[in-house]
Amino acid sequence: MSQEQPTLIGARVPKLDAPLKATGSATYGHDVRLPGMLHGRILYSEYPHARVLRVDTARAQALPGVKCVLTAADAPDTRFGYGRDNVPFKNQVVRSLRDEVAGVVAVDPETAEEALRLIEVEYEPLTPVFSPEEALAEGTPLLHPDRGSNLFQTYHYEHGDPQAGERESDVLLEAEYQLPYVSHACLETSVVVAHFDPHGRLTLWSTTQIPFLLQRDLAEALGMDGSQIRIIQTAIGGAFGRGLDIYPFEPIAALMARKAGRPVRLAFTRAEDSIAAPARQPARVRVRAGARRDGRLTFRDVSAVLDIGPYVSWGAVTPLVMMETTASLYKVPHVRFHTDCVYTNNPVTGAMRGYGNPQSTFFIETMMDRLAEAVGMDPVEFRLLNANEPDTVTPQGLVITSCGLKECLQAVAARADRAAGESAAGWGQGTPVSPARDPFHGAPPSRRRRGIGFAATLNVGGGARIYRSDGCGATVKVDDFGHVTLVTGATEIGQGSETVLAQIVAETLGVSLDDVSVENSDTDVKPWDVGVHASRTTFIAGNAACIAARQARDQIFETAAEMLEVKPEELIARQGKVMVRDDPERSIPISKAVRRRHFRQGGRIVIGEGWYDPPTRLVDKATYKGNISAAYGFGAQMAEVEVDLDTGIVRVLRLVCANDVGRAINPMAVEGQIEGGAQMGLGYALTEELLVQEGRVLNPTFADYRLFTAADMPRIETIIVETDDPGGPFGAKGVGEMGGTPTAAAIANAIYDAVGLRLTTLPMTPERVLAALDTHQPKDGE
Amino acid sequence: MQPFEYHSPRSLPEALRLLQELGDGARLIAGGTDLLLRMKQGQLAPRALIDLRRAAELHGISFSPEEGLRIGAAVTLRELQRSPLVRDHCPCLCETASWMASEQVRSLATVGGNLCNASPAADLAPPLMVLDAQAVLVGPQGERRLPVEAFFLGPGQTALDRGELLKEVLVPPTPGNALYLKHAPRAFMDIAVVGVAVHLRMERGLARAVRIALGAVGPTPLRAGPSEALLEGSAPTASLLEEAADLAARACSPIDDLRGSAWYRRRMVRVLTRRALDRLCAASLVGEGT
Repeated sequence: MSQEQPTLIGARVPKLDAPLKATGSATYGHDVRLPGMLHGRILYSEYPHARVLRVDTARAQALPGVKCVLTAADAPDTRFGYGRDNVPFKNQVVRSLRDEVAGVVAVDPETAEEALRLIEVEYEPLTPVFSPEEALAEGTPLLHPDRGSNLFQTYHYEHGDPQAGERESDVLLEAEYQLPYVSHACLETSVVVAHFDPHGRLTLWSTTQIPFLLQRDLAEALGMDGSQIRIIQTAIGGAFGRGLDIYPFEPIAALMARKAGRPVRLAFTRAEDSIAAPARQPARVRVRAGARRDGRLTFRDVSAVLDIGPYVSWGAVTPLVMMETTASLYKVPHVRFHTDCVYTNNPVTGAMRGYGNPQSTFFIETMMDRLAEAVGMDPVEFRLLNANEPDTVTPQGLVITSCGLKECLQAVAARADRAAGESAAGWGQGTPVSPARDPFHGAPPSRRRRGIGFAATLNVGGGARIYRSDGCGATVKVDDFGHVTLVTGATEIGQGSETVLAQIVAETLGVSLDDVSVENSDTDVKPWDVGVHASRTTFIAGNAACIAARQARDQIFETAAEMLEVKPEELIARQGKVMVRDDPERSIPISKAVRRRHFRQGGRIVIGEGWYDPPTRLVDKATYKGNISAAYGFGAQMAEVEVDLDTGIVRVLRLVCANDVGRAINPMAVEGQIEGGAQMGLGYALTEELLVQEGRVLNPTFADYRLFTAADMPRIETIIVETDDPGGPFGAKGVGEMGGTPTAAAIANAIYDAVGLRLTTLPMTPERVLAALDTHQPKDGE
Repeated sequence: MQPFEYHSPRSLPEALRLLQELGDGARLIAGGTDLLLRMKQGQLAPRALIDLRRAAELHGISFSPEEGLRIGAAVTLRELQRSPLVRDHCPCLCETASWMASEQVRSLATVGGNLCNASPAADLAPPLMVLDAQAVLVGPQGERRLPVEAFFLGPGQTALDRGELLKEVLVPPTPGNALYLKHAPRAFMDIAVVGVAVHLRMERGLARAVRIALGAVGPTPLRAGPSEALLEGSAPTASLLEEAADLAARACSPIDDLRGSAWYRRRMVRVLTRRALDRLCAASLVGEGT
């Protein structure tokens, strides 16, 4: 009989990098120090829209400690970015208050900062454009006159016959939504260190999420060849999509290092990060939707306008995801989706965790609640009736393999019943709070209302083909001590990919987790990968690592078979040994088999290679249909809230999150992803908003940009639903983005349950809630 | 940040002498949680900083039955929050301190700093005002005392004359109860959108020593005089308390800013004043019965 060992798949293993990070010994971007390193600072525009007439750097140049000053004249005349509309330093026109006009390199950041104040810039103000509606109006000045319009791109999608859908509807609802700018608010602000070696090759220490694409993008921006650029990724103190693009500070750092002839570090202050790093696009959305009396959905019609700011990043592609939620979350026979992405002189926007999905899930799932009420159904029953099912193809062309949407909805609904029981027993009776600490200021029970709300989510879980390749490479080397090194193209951004990939490799090779190390930080070393985005790493990099590990195992089996005098097919790998399946007493250590390959004439090393690019395709350019991902993840959340009728304060008491992750390779890491996502979802729902007035961010620090802190978090209950996806490594699907996606909708639906208000503007601040309550005060007993 | 001289006097007289000598270019610093931020942001560039933390005269919390509590200006919020003397004699101040800023900031920030910044939203101001506290100012001419509410002249402006500094705060013994309710979006870390402090005691069913102070709803923390006058000596009823809360809302002059709109702040003054009054009347009635 085969000798069993405890499997590493499903093991609650602490993150491999946790001790490094907990003890402060991890080297983050801000920790990088090179010999002779100088410091750069950037001068930003004083106007949201202006012509740059003159830049005089003489006084800055003369300041002691300043090494060099850079302007547009120091940059090659090439454009970069998704829309090919950006340059490092703006030489003729500035289009936002974050536009880079000049830069200083000095011996320390303070001197560089002082020199910035000595640069004289003469501007001729141009008429600014602060709203997409204004931007599209006749006669409005164009941000990029060569484009002929402020409309960058339109996404138009249809399936079925939306007009027929309307006619089939017994109930038809309509609502308008207003969604805010929000910030990634990474613990580590943007930072980069650039250095040219004597051969002219550039090394960039970076917190990017796309090292290989950044090589190419930087090459384009700097007029270099990609082979002359090496990216080293440091430990990354938060990314959440901020690192999914090239931004001007990266080529600027390289230009600074080139001109100074020494390494240059460019590190943002917190306020600078809030202004110059990209935010999630604000949107205005009009939604119409209908259902039949029996509860079946008939149609959805969504029109959205996205303010993308002055330059286009990959964030402008988020309508693809908003479209996916609109077209494919639940079974909807007729769908129309239309979005305009519009240039304005507001802050720059980009990709952020969920990539359009938190926005679309908010409007789709609050609309689902209204439809359920309109047809007189329980909101969970209504969702179950319309839920996606396994082994189906949506009208959009999504091939849904595993699907645990119904299980997720049922799992959170089951906990809702328990909540009701607890309520009856007296919620919160156990811990008396002093009136000062009570968020309700001792509001009498008659002025509080409780409610519960549900929302679900659909997210790509098997990669997302938005580039021609959705691939990732891996190599697995085994040395003659039996130590295994996985070199993966994947990037660790705190999500735990290192640990999960190591578990996959250790399981495949039958070694303990201690025997595996992961290298993933250097483009000169690691194989190609498209980047860390779209919740793809466990699925894509996991499959690649699995392929590489199996190949390495086959090489070991080949030699072990000779040594044990059996066929390779008769062997298994367990406990660091190769053993005969039917006679486990006959075994040799893996290390011995490897040494046998090394210490002989005509020997071979043990190194397996894996490349995985999922069987998906780019969406059709005209119809936006096609199977973009090899698997889809699902989730549902239930929020229980309490609302203070006199102050509008909403307190989330519990958030129950169920997610279909295929198979949890590491349940602890899955829970961490869901809880972290929930923290961002709670902020999106209730407190986070970058306030922008005439292009200026009013709250660029954490004093007034309000993240949920540990003290504000409600109880988060996570439920893992396993559906064993046929395409995933050991059945796993991605979970990286789903944690916060349905949260705002679940909370909005719970507020409705509590006080009968349908809120359509985020965040749902006490002031907004109270303003709405003023138009509708629930009566006692309502 | 611009370079500056740093002085660390070992006594109050030395600090006063330095303040005299260095003149307008010097700023006093204690915890530095507000000042350093403004210096780093380039809003302030003092030539010299005089650090008050080594002057023993500015430290310490003591109590005497005649004078009440004496709280040194350099006492940190953390010391205030954890002081057994404060807990026994003015629990309201412990509570107020306990949810200001964060543990890290509370370990640095001082009572004097919170008052001398003269932010209309300073959390310690409304409770000290309703506790009838006095500010002790010391300068070249010696000491003088002012009621805390007279200490604030406008946003960032205090009654301190040139060469003067805040030495300590005196809180007289009080037989009444005080409560400070702070409205902010989060449990910690936030500057108050509105703060309401109320003090009163019930004597034979009548409200006495009624004092109400409001924060973040005017150029300075302010007293709600008409509400106090309405309630003083009255037998509080629900409608009377509601009227007092209404008067408080009318007594303030909030502005729109990114932390809250004027209408919302005014409304919160009414709600929080009513809730604080409800709680204190109930608590005092219970206390009276025992």
